[in-house]
Amino acid sequence: MRVRWLAVLSCLFAAFALAMAACGDDDDESVSGGGDGGGGGISGDTLTIYSSLPLQGTSKGQSEAVINGEKLALKEVGGKVGKYTIKYVSLDDSTAQNPGTADEGQTAQNARKAVQDETTIFYLGEFNSGGTKVSLPILNKANIPQISPSNTYVGLTTDAPGSEPGEPDKYYPAQKRTYARIVPTDTIQGAALATIMKEDGCKSVHIFNDKTTYGAGLAKNVETAAKDVGLTVEGNDGTDKNAPNYRSLASKINADCFVGSGVTGENYVQVFKDVAAANPTVKLYGPDGVAEEAFTNPAKGGIPADVGARTKITVATLGLEEFKKRNNAQAEKFFTDYEKEYGVAQPDPYAIYGYETMALALATLEAVGDKANDRKAVYTQLLTNTKDRESALGVYSIDENGDTTLTDYGLYTIKDGLPTFTKVIKAQAG
Amino acid sequence: MEAASVTGAPSRRRSEAVREFISRYGLIAILLILPVVYGIQDLSDDGNLNRLGNNLVEGLSNGAILALIALGYTLVYGIIELINFAHGEVFMLGSLAAAALYTPFGLTPDTSTGGLVLGLTAILILAMLTSASLNVMIERVAYRPLRAAPKLAPLITAVGMSFVLQNVGILWIGASQVAIPDLLGSQKHLIEIWGVTVTRGHVLAIAVTIPLVFLLTSFVARSRLGKAMRATAQDPEAARLMGINVDTTISLTFLLGGLMAGAAGLISALYQTSIWYFQGFSAGLYAFTAAVMGGIGNIRGAVLGGFIIGIIQGISDNRIGNDWTPAIVFVYLVIIMVFRPQGLIGEETREAG
Repeated sequence: MRVRWLAVLSCLFAAFALAMAACGDDDDESVSGGGDGGGGGISGDTLTIYSSLPLQGTSKGQSEAVINGEKLALKEVGGKVGKYTIKYVSLDDSTAQNPGTADEGQTAQNARKAVQDETTIFYLGEFNSGGTKVSLPILNKANIPQISPSNTYVGLTTDAPGSEPGEPDKYYPAQKRTYARIVPTDTIQGAALATIMKEDGCKSVHIFNDKTTYGAGLAKNVETAAKDVGLTVEGNDGTDKNAPNYRSLASKINADCFVGSGVTGENYVQVFKDVAAANPTVKLYGPDGVAEEAFTNPAKGGIPADVGARTKITVATLGLEEFKKRNNAQAEKFFTDYEKEYGVAQPDPYAIYGYETMALALATLEAVGDKANDRKAVYTQLLTNTKDRESALGVYSIDENGDTTLTDYGLYTIKDGLPTFTKVIKAQAG
Repeated sequence: MEAASVTGAPSRRRSEAVREFISRYGLIAILLILPVVYGIQDLSDDGNLNRLGNNLVEGLSNGAILALIALGYTLVYGIIELINFAHGEVFMLGSLAAAALYTPFGLTPDTSTGGLVLGLTAILILAMLTSASLNVMIERVAYRPLRAAPKLAPLITAVGMSFVLQNVGILWIGASQVAIPDLLGSQKHLIEIWGVTVTRGHVLAIAVTIPLVFLLTSFVARSRLGKAMRATAQDPEAARLMGINVDTTISLTFLLGGLMAGAAGLISALYQTSIWYFQGFSAGLYAFTAAVMGGIGNIRGAVLGGFIIGIIQGISDNRIGNDWTPAIVFVYLVIIMVFRPQGLIGEETREAG
């Protein structure tokens, strides 16, 4: 009898706990500091900006460059905007077991950490589009404005070709836009890759993609753009990160050009090595996902120098000379200050994006003045009033989807193990 | 009820006969499907079998590495009926050890041929000894104390050891794939026979694997210790009564498996020119599949299984897609297991029989 009574009590307790947990889930993400324009805002004089990037594995160098850029921009305003002191918190969205890219579990944990912090006013990240797929819905429900320095996947902001069904709405459960990015989407990068292949005399192209959100999405964009410029697309094959090698796959390539649409951390050093060995005359092209020393520098585990000599990479940033040519004083100042601060004259291409990500966040806070503690006022300002902004990247606006109006891509070749700016690619998605 | 039994018996006999027929001849046909279909396609498209030949050569060399790893699984299962899940990681650490020895031995792609031969021979021996010692240590620490425990206990311990060793790999080289010097010019063309390209890597994989398999087979078949291993595999109690030191024999089995894994580690490092803490998990999974496919507990079966899986991988990567390869390999395994649960040339084990 006593046992039965205990069992009934346990069931009631379990049902109660489940009900509480279900209610708690909603509260957890939608009601926190900043409110939704309810007039409350963040209390106190400290606002926190979180950065979430992969700090382990192959992307470590790129992420550190982004962080350096962000810190530099914050330092330039003395760590303050108006009456508010800005606190900067850097988080790692990769794990020891899953380095070089955003780990879904860790990314969700980072986003929840920002949500639980009532002083959060901006979240800068993720580096990888696949990571933003995870963090964006969590942050959106909590009205936290987010800016990515590097996401290029189309489906995060639009349903343009390259996106999946249900995108981008599924990333905005609060049914309002809170996310912006300062790099052009892969629609533009795909067009840039197609443009440069056409210029190089390619007649046909074979694409490998790493099956990630970024890699598979970009591959679709390259495919479309290549057909638009008259190239024959021989194939678009997914690659398995765990495969011992890609020799057999590489030997099926008959095209005269190859695009490896993936990131270094998805075994793309091995992919490029195997493709180059199996096809000694094929021209090799990589996207911004491999624009890092872990890929370009043989001394850091990258592709061998002879493969590097055949490889061209597209990145949405331009070189110092190009900025000088365009009389972009802010870019020149960035390069000078960066060298002074960190002793690096030729920073990773993403350093300037880190700088501009933070600069845009700070400019947005400054623009709303006393409402810098109100998340709704901040994301509204970011998405509706960022127009003709003069920045280190050039003059750009953020459209209603959260996309930048910048379209120039830089072509990089590999010199002394470093991705080195060669020229501008003028590409427009068809 | 009786009528049902009477009509049921011939139909059961018929289905057993079909099963037996498929088991004997159907599997051979299934295994030949991929090469035959693509061979016909190549003949009609290109008028020759060059592409298929290249797939087979690639598959055989990948399969040689798997075969060496599979030997470790099959030897251990044959003697104590334990699936040593940590064996893939023993291979991985052999690979890491081999790569770490390049610099102390002064080996670079510019080293002379003589220097490379001498250096790599020394590294091969050291890598084999490293993996063998590790395997013996694992047996002594993690499996021997559980000899009398229910079978689930050592099995889960093996899974645990696998994770421990993976983390050792992460501590050693980090968690990303690391490219290492291509000492031999692994993908440099050595010879072309009837349109089929043979690279240095292909020759290396086959040239190291075949003598090692031959030596291992001879050791198990002819040596006194090999006979002790076979006796222990058949009946450990009877072997003990006949004066065989069963514990030492089991340790010897782990030692031999580790030696093969260490050799596979060096070949893999030279062949793939990259190392990764996770390489043992995926290679181990395929190697274990190879051992099961060939007939676990059977040395020749493990080697056959390794080559078959290598060839399926080679053809599938090239014709169907690299991302489909794992599914294709395991479909083959399922088909073989359904019609021949003991594997292609496997025998009934103590447990089964």
